[in-house]
Amino acid sequence: MHILETHQLKKTYRSRGKTLAAVRDVSLSIAAAEVLAFLGPNGAGKTTTIKMIAGLILPDSGSVRIAGCDPHRDSRALKLIGAVLEGNRNLYWRLTPSENLEYFGVLRGLTPRVARQRARDLLERFDLGDKRRALVQTLSRGMQQKLAIAVALIHDPQLLLLDEPTLGLDVEATESVKRLVREIAAEGRAILLTTHQLDIAEELSDRVAIINQGTVVVEEPTSELIRQFSEATYRIELEHPLDAERTNKLRSLGAVVEPKQIYLRDPDLLYTVVDGLRPLPILRVERDQASLRDIFLTLVRQGRLPELSNSGGEVRSGQLH
Amino acid sequence: MLFLFWAEFKRSWIQLLRYSSEVIGGIIGTTIIFYGLFLSARYIAGPGFQFGDRLDAIIVGYVLWALMLFILGDIAGGLQQEARTGTLEQLFLSPYSAPQVFLMRAFASLTLNLAINLSILLLIMVLTGSRLAFPITLIPPLLAVLMGAYGISFAMGSLALILKQVQQLLSVFQFGLLFLFTAPVETWTGGMRIIGWLLPMAPGAGLLRDVMARGMDLNAQALALALLNGALYLVVGLALFRWSEQETKRQGKLSGY
Ligand SMILES: Nc1ncnc2c1ncn2[C@@H]1O[C@H](COP(=O)(O)OP(=O)(O)O)[C@@H](O)[C@H]1O
Ligand SMILES: [Mg+2]
Repeated sequence: MHILETHQLKKTYRSRGKTLAAVRDVSLSIAAAEVLAFLGPNGAGKTTTIKMIAGLILPDSGSVRIAGCDPHRDSRALKLIGAVLEGNRNLYWRLTPSENLEYFGVLRGLTPRVARQRARDLLERFDLGDKRRALVQTLSRGMQQKLAIAVALIHDPQLLLLDEPTLGLDVEATESVKRLVREIAAEGRAILLTTHQLDIAEELSDRVAIINQGTVVVEEPTSELIRQFSEATYRIELEHPLDAERTNKLRSLGAVVEPKQIYLRDPDLLYTVVDGLRPLPILRVERDQASLRDIFLTLVRQGRLPELSNSGGEVRSGQLH
Repeated sequence: MLFLFWAEFKRSWIQLLRYSSEVIGGIIGTTIIFYGLFLSARYIAGPGFQFGDRLDAIIVGYVLWALMLFILGDIAGGLQQEARTGTLEQLFLSPYSAPQVFLMRAFASLTLNLAINLSILLLIMVLTGSRLAFPITLIPPLLAVLMGAYGISFAMGSLALILKQVQQLLSVFQFGLLFLFTAPVETWTGGMRIIGWLLPMAPGAGLLRDVMARGMDLNAQALALALLNGALYLVVGLALFRWSEQETKRQGKLSGY
């Protein structure tokens, strides 16, 4: 039984005479207790999709169903959704954690008594008990994010939407958010989280949908995807751009060559390649973890993704608009 | 709905008490501006001049204007601020509709706004020696003015949703409002009189001046007109708000992209 189903969502923005097809074709589904990572570079259309699911942006076409209800028409669907949107302000900074939880509880349709009870439980569970009476603006970014997740759960929704939940968090806070996500899914809730970091998707999700330029290009179980891309890869960084002759030769060996970087999928070729580079100065040789960029490069090579002029440059991390 | 009202009521009082210095600053500032105007008017008029009920009439207009500004700040200013900080989208995730949430908010902070403006009024009365009456008959015209004020605030709130940056527009608008509240529409005649009936909140404000400053009784016909005027602006304001909500969701700009 799927909690969330979207069918061919489309959204084109028109502003100041320009049109931008932000989401072209996104169909997704998530079952109870499942975590789907929505992975893609900045500007791929992740936030737009999540907001269409939450009823905050009207799709041009396509449909969203949450346990069979359309959030754009039926306010009952909204009771099934909890969302933490991008950025750090899903809360009232001038209120305390308990006041935020109780307020949003009633706003989501609880009675004040139930809201108070749920608030107490969630504060306990999220380790925020001793900050109960501190103003939100005095909390650390990590605690604010945990509280935002608690607020999103106050009305016990079946579907939790998390837009870049670990963005801007330090290592410790990132770990505790990851732990919470796993726990929340284990309770039987469906979770859709967006990220542009492969490692987050890898650690948290059961399935990954990769989105690029508004289109889902791959959707697979995470373990499957990781298996495909986890062969040892080497990255060689050069001091100067490579000449055309060497570039061609390396390409014929199966390497992916950018002006100052070479990617190798076959570890046996490493020394052949290094020999071929002699006597050019090499800055670095490293075993690469599969990254979103590698996956994109591979997808392009496999012809599953059209060649992008900016396939490298687009994958920047830690950046908000 | 009652629960929502109560939650909003709690939220606005908590924030008020926690940041009471801002509110006290607002009360004192509003009073001082009027007192300054009063002193210069007295200087121009020369000593020994009696303002009589004209001063009282102007005080009523001024305090209504201040009340309007608080309501406008609550609704339009609040919308703009929450769009900037990011809480606005959380409000739209509520199963209550957006007009419901914002109307409950407005009602919840009404007690607070009335308390604040009564303090301003009393301060001004002490400073200027004005003698205003507070008969029970002031309630219906006040209601008419409040409905109009909410309507106008929702209309400006719609603009805030669509345009996001309305700070400058709001400040220009404030002076237009001052005109509405101080223009003596109740004394206008002929064609101007009809315009006076159509101006937002002006008929109600005129009646309030009649009962509070001039000690007159309520005229049933004028009251009916004032209430109709208020209701009309409220309905139009809410309709605009609904429309701008849809439009903003279409443009994907709720969060102020
Ligand atoms: N309200 C909007 N109006 C116009 N363009 C927008 C709007 N929101 C997003 N965009 C553009 O649409 C594209 C997709 O944005 P977004 O969904 O935020 O991507 P992501 O979350 O994957 O980074 C981007 O190019 C962005 O600049
Ligand atoms: Mg985004």
